[in-house]
Amino acid sequence: MSVWNYVVTAHKPTNVTHSCVGNFTSPQELNLIIAKCTRIEIHLLTAHGLQPMLDVPIYGRIATLELFRPHGEPQDFLFISTERYKFCVLQWDPDTSELITRAMGDVSDRIGRPTDNGQIIHGLLKYGNKMKLQIEIVVFEELSLLIGLIDPDCRLIGLHLYDGLFKVIPFDNKGQLKEAFNIRLEELQVLDIKFLYGCSRPTIVVLYQDNKDARHVKTYEVVLKDKDFVEGPWSQNNLDNGAGLLIPVPMPLGGVIIIGEETIVYCNGTIFKAIPIRPSITRAYGRVDADGSRYLLGDNAGLIHLLVITHERERVNGLKIEHLGETTVASTISYLDNAVVYVGSSYGDSQLCSVLIKLNLQPDAKGSYVEVLEAYVNLGPIVDFCVVDLERQGQGQVVTCSGAYKDGSLRIVRNGIGINEQASVELQGIKGLWSLRSSINDPYDSLLVVSFISETRVLAMNMDDELEESEIEGFSAEEQTLFCQNAIHDQLVQVTATVVRLVSSTTRQLLHEWNAPSGYSVNVATANASQVLLATGGGHLVYLEIEKEKLIEVKHIQLEYEISCLDINPIGENPNYTTVAAVGMWTDLTVRIFSLPSLELLTKENLGGEIIPRSILQCTFEGVSYLLCTLGDGHLLNFLLDINTGGLSNRKKVSLGTQPITLRTFSSKDTTHVFAASDRPTVIYSSNKKLLYSNVNLKEVSHMCPFNSAAFPDRSVWLYELTKKVLIFYWLYGFFSIQCSANDPICFIFLCLAIAKEGELSIGTIDDIQKLHIRTIPLGQHARRICHQEQSRTFSICCFKNCQISNEETEMHFIRLLDDQTFEFMSIFPLDSYEYGCSIISCSFSDDNNAYYCVGTAYVLPEENEPSKGRILVFAVEDGKLQLIVEKETKGAVYSLNAFNGKLLAAINQKIQLYKWTLREDGSRELQTECGHHGHILALYVQTRGDFIVVGDLMKSISLLLYKHEEGAIEELARDYNANWMSAVEILDDDVFVGAENNYNLFTVRKNSDAASDEERGRLEVVGEYHLGEFVNRFRHGSLVMRLPDSEVGNIPTIIFGTINGVIGVIASLPHDQYVFFEKLQANLVKVIKGVGGLSHEQWRSFNNEKRTADARNFLDGDLIESFLDLSRSRMDDIATSMGVTLEELCKRVEELTRLH
Amino acid sequence: MWKEVRDREAGKLPTSAFASRVRSRRLSALAICNHKEIISPHHGAVNSLQVDLTEGRYLLSGASDGSAAIYDIQQATEYEKGLIAKHKSLFVVDKQHGYGHKFAISTVIWYPVDTGLFVTGSFDHYVKVWDTNMAQVVMDFKMPGKVYGTAMSSVAKAHMLIAAGSADVQVRLCDIASGAFTHTLSGHRGGIMNVEWSTSSEWILMTGGCDGAIRFWDIRRAGCFRILDQSQSQFGRRPPFPERTPTEVVTRTAAAGSSSVNKLISKKKATLGNGKKQSQAVCKLQNLTTSHTMHKSHPGTASSYSRATAHFGAVTGLRATRDGLYLLSSGSDSRLRLWDIESGCSISVNFEATRLQTNKAIQLALSQDSSAVFIPSMSNVKVYDVLSGLNLQTFYGHYDMVNCCYFNMQDQELYTGSNDRHILVWSPPSSSFSDMDEEERKRLNLKADEDNWSQ
Repeated sequence: MSVWNYVVTAHKPTNVTHSCVGNFTSPQELNLIIAKCTRIEIHLLTAHGLQPMLDVPIYGRIATLELFRPHGEPQDFLFISTERYKFCVLQWDPDTSELITRAMGDVSDRIGRPTDNGQIIHGLLKYGNKMKLQIEIVVFEELSLLIGLIDPDCRLIGLHLYDGLFKVIPFDNKGQLKEAFNIRLEELQVLDIKFLYGCSRPTIVVLYQDNKDARHVKTYEVVLKDKDFVEGPWSQNNLDNGAGLLIPVPMPLGGVIIIGEETIVYCNGTIFKAIPIRPSITRAYGRVDADGSRYLLGDNAGLIHLLVITHERERVNGLKIEHLGETTVASTISYLDNAVVYVGSSYGDSQLCSVLIKLNLQPDAKGSYVEVLEAYVNLGPIVDFCVVDLERQGQGQVVTCSGAYKDGSLRIVRNGIGINEQASVELQGIKGLWSLRSSINDPYDSLLVVSFISETRVLAMNMDDELEESEIEGFSAEEQTLFCQNAIHDQLVQVTATVVRLVSSTTRQLLHEWNAPSGYSVNVATANASQVLLATGGGHLVYLEIEKEKLIEVKHIQLEYEISCLDINPIGENPNYTTVAAVGMWTDLTVRIFSLPSLELLTKENLGGEIIPRSILQCTFEGVSYLLCTLGDGHLLNFLLDINTGGLSNRKKVSLGTQPITLRTFSSKDTTHVFAASDRPTVIYSSNKKLLYSNVNLKEVSHMCPFNSAAFPDRSVWLYELTKKVLIFYWLYGFFSIQCSANDPICFIFLCLAIAKEGELSIGTIDDIQKLHIRTIPLGQHARRICHQEQSRTFSICCFKNCQISNEETEMHFIRLLDDQTFEFMSIFPLDSYEYGCSIISCSFSDDNNAYYCVGTAYVLPEENEPSKGRILVFAVEDGKLQLIVEKETKGAVYSLNAFNGKLLAAINQKIQLYKWTLREDGSRELQTECGHHGHILALYVQTRGDFIVVGDLMKSISLLLYKHEEGAIEELARDYNANWMSAVEILDDDVFVGAENNYNLFTVRKNSDAASDEERGRLEVVGEYHLGEFVNRFRHGSLVMRLPDSEVGNIPTIIFGTINGVIGVIASLPHDQYVFFEKLQANLVKVIKGVGGLSHEQWRSFNNEKRTADARNFLDGDLIESFLDLSRSRMDDIATSMGVTLEELCKRVEELTRLH
Repeated sequence: MWKEVRDREAGKLPTSAFASRVRSRRLSALAICNHKEIISPHHGAVNSLQVDLTEGRYLLSGASDGSAAIYDIQQATEYEKGLIAKHKSLFVVDKQHGYGHKFAISTVIWYPVDTGLFVTGSFDHYVKVWDTNMAQVVMDFKMPGKVYGTAMSSVAKAHMLIAAGSADVQVRLCDIASGAFTHTLSGHRGGIMNVEWSTSSEWILMTGGCDGAIRFWDIRRAGCFRILDQSQSQFGRRPPFPERTPTEVVTRTAAAGSSSVNKLISKKKATLGNGKKQSQAVCKLQNLTTSHTMHKSHPGTASSYSRATAHFGAVTGLRATRDGLYLLSSGSDSRLRLWDIESGCSISVNFEATRLQTNKAIQLALSQDSSAVFIPSMSNVKVYDVLSGLNLQTFYGHYDMVNCCYFNMQDQELYTGSNDRHILVWSPPSSSFSDMDEEERKRLNLKADEDNWSQ
């Protein structure tokens, strides 16, 4: 039974809904604060770009994000309100780097109709310091209306939450919030509200539409004493019909700018200036100057304009607008500093741009003044996706239809890290791999030492950037190398079974050597730049130090058992020297920490079990030192390591594979990571001081070493061009030819990894280290539906683009065929004019082995409310082309298609229709109607399993239908009678179905086939409810991770969902005992982890729609449960105690869950 | 609809706007239903209709022959020719029923919390509470006269009161919990045609009488606290909220109410405390609006002297909007008036060409967002835009006076009951017929031009 579900986010929301800039973390620091629907991110603006400071979840969908500064405060406070009418005021705590709640409350009312058109969100801030910028940020969605705004002089907060009501929260003299009250607002169809600057009493300006659809602007003064409005100083009637955005202009100019679709107007009661603009819908603005004379405007085509108010002696005498260039479609614009602008987007990647607004600067070749410095991936809106295994490794990848307008794209989302192979050679029997530099300070690796069972070979990079065989004279080439390393004083050290050799890296001549005592051979060895530790048979542990042209045996001890592995990776402050050594033992299966140089035993940790340690590594991630130890069965143990005492604590165990693992550190972007080479290679890294494990898209890796070379560049490099005053960031992708002038002192450090696989040595570059790897295929058009066809190895998508045909904006719809490896367009099928692609599947029919793409379309005519005509098109892929085989006209839009018992099941408007695939007499094929089922409002989403059909209706929740073979009819078996407006459905198992609905909830229903009465059998029982806070567009069965059959989580069924905000989430159906366990854990966590701003987790996750609110049930919040691992040790201990399990057990169980995604 | 679905999935159309657009589109397409029929078992005029508030599934009807019936409007009992859904009554209680009403049933309402109970009021002076599953009377209340109207508050958390208006001048509150009258509210000078609870506060009751008055009662206080006056109309700006708005109080009450059940005691305290504040506010407001005619006396008793009227003649229909801001009333003067509940002022909206039944209580209905009102207008039903008074649509279909309409917000369907004994369903069109393929029609032996008169 899939009744007990665990919901977790695999990819966090990336849709930027709001942003604002101010001095939040300290009076001197400038912060960019970004809201991504249910998360806020705080960034610090530094000379090197944006530096993330905090990323926290909010228990609510953010409706307003505002920075403001109450009187007498040195820095800004953050005001957040949520769509469920909660608000909070947050302050930064510099000591803990956390957010403190200054105030919070509920602003919901029992009277009033929610401003149901959606939301406009405004920010408005003012800095006391004149040197700082004044910035305003606005998100504007057409016809959107939940407004929160703060008076520029911080006298009150205004909220427009319900039609006809304006809620006011006044500040008292000390900047504290007082009790809220409502003021009646005459205007019901409000489009925008802003506070005006420079008014003695707080004054709002309201843009509204009257019942004849004309738009006007009116001002009101808020009289706090009387708790009422009085008529404001001015009003302006009959504006542009598309007027939708107000920009208040700060003093000394004052007044307001009204942005329309065809005109921009400035007015302040006495002056009225208007200019015509090219028709466009402006979605966002950002103020450039403190005095409000320049603004950046972003429209829904992604164009950025500069609006300049020209003025003379504080009197406005005109407006000027200039086209600057193109960015992503902006939903928020924040001007940061020095011509750098953050453009947040809901429909494409958010960008950091440099905008050359100085008039004397020349545009680039394309006439653009905008240069994109950095892009931040945004998957939203995920309209559709499919789960495929392109590399056939048994691990699913998600291919999403993301973005909208011109930013439409396909995104390939894969768990783990990609290695892009650049070169490879066939080499059998590699036993070890090390890279060497010509000098220890050299940024590049130039030599690659490859060790075999009875020889060692050296490869070097030649002038043509090719690897060729080379030689280091001082090295022993006839022996297997156990370790080799660059050492101080331009020396190299090589350890073999018999000898340790010290070689000059310049002359490559042997300088000194240390021979193993006769009768003993070295088994394992390790070294760093100045130390060598090796173990010989009989449990001898020898410690050498490297000095100039000399190896000195410092200490030698004998242990009771043989040594299996050891490590002296420097983890202290000195990068060349360490004071602790880690040793793994045979027989007693312990890990021991010794101090260096005395080789005194500091700690002995029993590993337990029967598996010997195979590789051990001490390393530091984000300032925290760890000891990692892998076992012969593919498990990894990690401990916190105290460098001073050698103490080990916080033991955790995870399974990374089934074969022995070797560990090796490498660094990328100045951060240390660990590569675990095994049958399931993994990269271990740390994020938020938590160790994370990402698998790598390689099958089996036996050895790996970092190999930094000029020829294989790191994929991303920051180049600071300091010659100009403006700091410009270049974001570089992939390869580039180095065009540094001779006098340019900048070094390029390129990271590569040399990897030994089965019989092969390859060199590749590594992707950014993050849990999910995302590849973007830009389409330049909006993709709406995608499906994959295994047989032809192709993807097919329904997409469209907007075209301008004789002044009229029309849409052109296509079916496109793409190669599933290269993602190149192979074929295109244009649909008729007014014909829209609605659904696409790949299927085959009974009595026909071919695979077909079936496409459902609708003719959307402007005069029709609902499409009354559509088509089902059946394509075959022949020679890489889409070949239309059959077309069938339908009486409506084909919202959904499903392969069903070798037939085709279509949802056409109100109806479910089954078609069979028949052979005509002339040998051609046709789709023939078999049977149908009526009684839906609009059957939007359909899923099938066996003979069962689950329909998600526009507004009537889920119904279950059954196809009866004998009668050739479809009958309704049961229905959920709640009024849920569906957005997606999926079948979890034979009896349980999950649905997502319009108010961001998830729910599960169960078939009651055993119920006593017909009435009960005809009713789908609601068994689970949960507020996800995300709009789900699609569920699909599948998993993002490789399923290891031996792990406990391997058998948990999961489905993946994609949402408008770019969230990829996982719903896992847990066994009941696990569910009960984690439910208890969740209950404990709710007490310990408090929501930001004092928002309640219980309320946030409670099912909520227009009619009712009910506590979440039979769903667990995986994001909360997994945040257990981020807690401090003492809190974890407390929770483990109250749960009645050991901490190790608890961590293991939670970590297992994290491996579901 | 297709474009809206697409814009919603791309995040271009906020979900709430999606829902309201779909609803208003369906609302504007309402027409007599071609795929759903309710088979009325009544032998007299249908006087009252209501769909249950929990599931939106069961329609309750009451008729002049003393019968009440329940229909499942979601699940048809049978299909005619496989397409037209016939909804027969699940059960009927009539005069033959041992405890049935003897005379006409004037009003039927569901218990707002679940479908286990419903309430009927009849000209035989009784208000009866029925157990739905047993079809038995569990409680009855003898009223002093013919019962015209009953109401239960859908927002009530602290009481289970049926407000009943009868030919008597007093409004009575019948408590289901105790089986007794808890309140008698005196003030009206004629019988009470209509009772309506506030949609924002469980304590506020609004009643309309044959004396043309609409009175507002706070059932925690003696006397009525407001009488709507048709001469007090509002032009231009609405008056402000009183200093301490009742809304705020309600908000807090609601917040307390939503907390868990074991905090019941604290909740009660909260409501009492706030109640006082609210009534102070109410007094103040009272003074503001009516002090020019009043002496300083107890507002409750003072109001009983007021002869202000909302309509000339009787008030025949009352309906409060869901947002708690407005009240709609109809009167035997054939007028429809819109009132601002906060200020008690009439809002001058000219509802075009209304012609209303004069001698009977009528049941108005509002759309989900309260933007449209459905009014029985002689043998038709008219739809008006609430704020502009424009006549959006007129439904012709009944053969006799229409008495009641009920709008099912879940499905955007309108049910109307008439003196012609029929209950008609008005729904957005379903293209079931038109989108049927030729082959299917043949299978079902249907011909578009065939009817009962064909050969």
